[in-house]
Amino acid sequence: MEKVRIGFYALTSCYGCQLQFAMMDEIVQLLDKANIECWFMVDRDSDEEREVDIAFIEGSVSTQEEIELIKKIREKAKIVIAVGSCAIHGGVQSWGKDKELEELWKTVYGDGRVKFEPKMAEPVENYIKVDYKLYGCPPEKKDFLYALGTFLIGSWPEDIDYPVCVECRLNGNPCILIEKGEPCLGPLTTAGCDARCPSFNIACIGCRGAVGYGVAWFDSLAREFKKKGLTKEEILERMRIFNAHNPKLEEMINKVFEEGE
Amino acid sequence: MRYVKLPKENIYDFLERLKDYGKLYAPVKISEKFYDFREVDDVKKIEFHYNRTIMPPKKFFFLPREKMFEFSISKAEYKETIENVEPFVVFGLHACDIFALKIMDTIYLDEFPDKYYKVRREKGIIIGISCMPDEYCFCNLRETDFADDGFDLFLHELPDGYLVRVGTPIGHRIVDKSIKLFEEVTSQDICDFREFEKKREESFKYHEDWGSLRYLLELEMEHPMWDEQSELCLACGNCNTTCPTCRCYEVQDIPNLDGDTGVRIRRWDSCQLRSHGLVAGNHNFRPTKRSRFMNRYLCKNSYNEKLGLSYCVGCGRCTYFCPAGISFVKNLRTIMGLEDKSCPPEISEEIPKRGFAYGGAKQ
Amino acid sequence: MSDNPYALEKAKVLRVYDLTETEKLFLFRFENSEIAENWTFKPGQFVQLTIPGVGEVPISICSSPMRKGFFELCIRRIGRVTTVIHRLKPGDTVLVRGPYGNGFPVDEWEGMDLLIIAAGLGTAPLRSVFLYAMDNRWKFGNITFINTARYGKELLFYKELEAIRDLAEAENVKIIQSVTRDKEWKGLKGRPQQFIVEANTNPKKTAVTVCGPPRMYRDVFETLINYGYRPENIYVTLERRMKCGIGKCGHCNVGTSTSWKYICKDGPVFGYFDIVSTPGLLD
Repeated sequence: MEKVRIGFYALTSCYGCQLQFAMMDEIVQLLDKANIECWFMVDRDSDEEREVDIAFIEGSVSTQEEIELIKKIREKAKIVIAVGSCAIHGGVQSWGKDKELEELWKTVYGDGRVKFEPKMAEPVENYIKVDYKLYGCPPEKKDFLYALGTFLIGSWPEDIDYPVCVECRLNGNPCILIEKGEPCLGPLTTAGCDARCPSFNIACIGCRGAVGYGVAWFDSLAREFKKKGLTKEEILERMRIFNAHNPKLEEMINKVFEEGE
Repeated sequence: MRYVKLPKENIYDFLERLKDYGKLYAPVKISEKFYDFREVDDVKKIEFHYNRTIMPPKKFFFLPREKMFEFSISKAEYKETIENVEPFVVFGLHACDIFALKIMDTIYLDEFPDKYYKVRREKGIIIGISCMPDEYCFCNLRETDFADDGFDLFLHELPDGYLVRVGTPIGHRIVDKSIKLFEEVTSQDICDFREFEKKREESFKYHEDWGSLRYLLELEMEHPMWDEQSELCLACGNCNTTCPTCRCYEVQDIPNLDGDTGVRIRRWDSCQLRSHGLVAGNHNFRPTKRSRFMNRYLCKNSYNEKLGLSYCVGCGRCTYFCPAGISFVKNLRTIMGLEDKSCPPEISEEIPKRGFAYGGAKQ
Repeated sequence: MSDNPYALEKAKVLRVYDLTETEKLFLFRFENSEIAENWTFKPGQFVQLTIPGVGEVPISICSSPMRKGFFELCIRRIGRVTTVIHRLKPGDTVLVRGPYGNGFPVDEWEGMDLLIIAAGLGTAPLRSVFLYAMDNRWKFGNITFINTARYGKELLFYKELEAIRDLAEAENVKIIQSVTRDKEWKGLKGRPQQFIVEANTNPKKTAVTVCGPPRMYRDVFETLINYGYRPENIYVTLERRMKCGIGKCGHCNVGTSTSWKYICKDGPVFGYFDIVSTPGLLD
C-alpha cells in the first residue's frame, strides 16, 4: 500500500491543535503508513511546497500571506481538513470582529512594528473549500484518530451535527443550564468533546463552535438567557467568543430582543 | 400475591443484604436539585423520597453508549463484544419507570430480541418503591401509577416501614433469605397502605380523561401550539435522553489507526436532532424543528398494542429537565382544549413573528 | 443461528455490473454454502449490508427468490458507505444480515394480473417482484411493467428488459420503458401514470406495485383509481435510513399517534389504505 502523505500547516493560532496531535502516542502507528511531508513541529525536513494527500490546517486566516499559503495548500492537497476553532470559526481572535482593525492592532501591538500586513481574523473556509472539520479548542485526539482511520480505509469521517447536551446526558451529568441558571452553551455547541466542561460542573463556552446545518438555535437559547436576566450585550458577548463569524448569530438574537415581553 | 412487612428499623439491613445479589444501584442526590441511580456503597445515602432521576433506569439495560462489534476490516470478520454481565440490583424504581421497562421490553424483547439489552435485563433485579407525585407527575392519566408486575419486590411506604409486594421467584428468594427482617402484614398496615394510596391519588395535579388525546393530536396538526412551542425548543434532545421509553439509537463504525481494525458502536439518539429523519441523498423526512418537535409528541402518545398503554408513562422528566421550560403536559392539555376552551383556537395575527399571543395569557 | 439479531454473515461479490453512472448491480453469494443454498426472502424485503469500519446500509433485494444460491443488490452511489461499496470487485467480501421487512404479499396475488410501476431507483425492489412473477409465470395473469426514469441513461435494467421484450410479449407480459425529461431519447417519453392506460391488466383483478420518488405517488394513485384499479390491491415499498432493520433504532419511525409505524418492520411494503391513514409515510 502506498503511504499517505500528510501535511500539517499553521496559520495564526496558539499551535495548541498541532501540539495536541504531535503528543499522541498513537501517532507512532502511523509511521509505516504515512509520510509526513510538512509538519514543522515534528519534522525539521518539512516543506510547504510538497504535494500531500491530506492537509490539516490550524489557525485563522489573519494576514495576506496566509491567504496565499492556504490557496497553495488547497492546490497541492487532495483533502483539506480545517483543524480547531481558529481554522473553522475564526477562533477567539474573531471575538472582537465588530471592532476596527486599527483599534485591535493598537491593543495588541501598541506602537510595535511587525513584518506582515494584518487583517481581521477569518475562518479558512472563507477562502478555500474545506472538506472536513475537526472541531474544538483544541480538537479531541479521538476525532483526529477517527478521521485518519477513515481515510486509511478509503472512507471519510461523518460530520457531527448534534449538540453537547446529548453527550452531557449520556454521561449522566446534571444540567447546569437548568440547575444553576448559568449561560451554558451546550445546546448550540457541536458535540464530540464528551461534554468535557459540564462534566466538571463548568458551563460550556462553546469552544467547538455552533452546530452547523442551520440547527444552532441561538434565538431559543438567548430567550432562555434573557429569562435568567442576561442582557442582549451579555448574551452576544458570550455566544460570540467562538461564533463571531456565524451569520445567524446577531440576526437571531436581535429577533428575540425585538419580541418584547 | 405475597405480602410481607419490612419494619422501618430493618430497611438498611435489608438494603445491605441486597448487595449479596450483585452491585446495588439506587437513587442518590447527584447535585443541588437532581437525583440519579448510582452504584451505592453506603446505603444511608439512598434517597427514598426522590422526585425523579435525570437518567431513566433504561440506562442499565440499554446502555447510553455501547460497543457492538469489533471488526477485522481486511478479513471482513467481526466479533461480538457483549461483556459478561454480572447480576445487579436496581433499588427504588417508581411505578412509572417499571412500566417504562415493560414498554422497552415490548420493543427490545420482541421477535428479534436485542441481545445487548436482553442479557442485562435477565441479570437485573428490580425493586420498586412507592412515591408521592409532584406537580410534574401525570402517571395517573397514563394508567401507569401502580405497577402490577415488572418488579421482583415493590415497597409501599407505611408510617413505620414498608408493605412489600413480592412479584417474582427471585423476590421470594430475597425475602426468604432475610426472613428475619420481615414481619407479617397487620390490619393496621392495610389501613395505612390504603391511606397512602388515597393520599397519593389525591395528590396528582390533574384528574381528567385523556382518552381522546391520540385522535386530537393528529386532528390538530395545524394547531398554533406547534409553532409557538417548537420555536422555544433548543433541540438539545434532553426530552429524549431523559425519557424512560425513548429507545432510538445511532450506530457508527470507528476504524482504528492501523487501517485494519475497528469497532461498531451505538449511542442513544434523539428525534429532535437533524439527522434522525435524514436519508441518503440528503432528503430529510423531518426537515424542520417543528416537524421534529411534533414527532416526539406523536410517538409518545401512540398506542402500544401489547400493553394497551401509550408510550409515555407520565414520569414528567421531559418537562422537568427541559432547559427551555416547555411543558409536555400543558401542550397536550392545550391540544385537548383543557388549557384554553376556545375552539377553534384563536390565532393572533402576530404568529409566528412573536409567537406568544395564543393561549390568552400574554397580551 | 446467532442469538444476536445484529449478527452478520460473510458474502462474496461474484460479479459487478455497471448499470448507470451512479448505479451498479452486485451479485453476492454467502460464503457459508449451507446459508447460500437455503437463504430465501420475499420480493420487497431488504438486507443490511456492512462494509466493516465504514458502516451499514439497508438495500432492497432486486433478484428473484426463486433463483437460489445468490442474491443481487442494485446500489446507487449516494453516501459514504455506498461510495465504498461501489469500489468492490469480484472476490471481495462484505457482511450481510437479513432479510428484513414484510415484503410484498405475492402469495395472495396468485391468479391476479400484475401491474408494476417503477420510477428511478424504484425499479430495483420491483425488479424482484417482476422476476419472481416471471419465474412463477403460471401463478399470474397478464403482467405489465412500466419502468421510467428522468433520462435514458438513468433507466435501470433497460437492456435487460428490452432483451426479453419479444419473448415476454408472447407470454402476455408487456414492458413499457419511458423517460420523463430526456429530449434526446428515441424511445417513449412520459410520466408513469400516462402509460397505465396501455397496461394489459384487468383493473378489477390486478395487484399493483408502485415505487419511486415521493412526489410521483399521488398522480399514479389518482390515475390508477380513475381507471378502476382497486385501492386494496395497490402496494408501495418505501425507504428510510434504517440502522437496525428490526424495529428498534427508530430512524424509520413514521406516522401519528394512531398509526405509529416502523418502516423496517411494519413495511417497507405498505398498502394504499396504510398510506392514506398514515400521514408522513410518503414524504
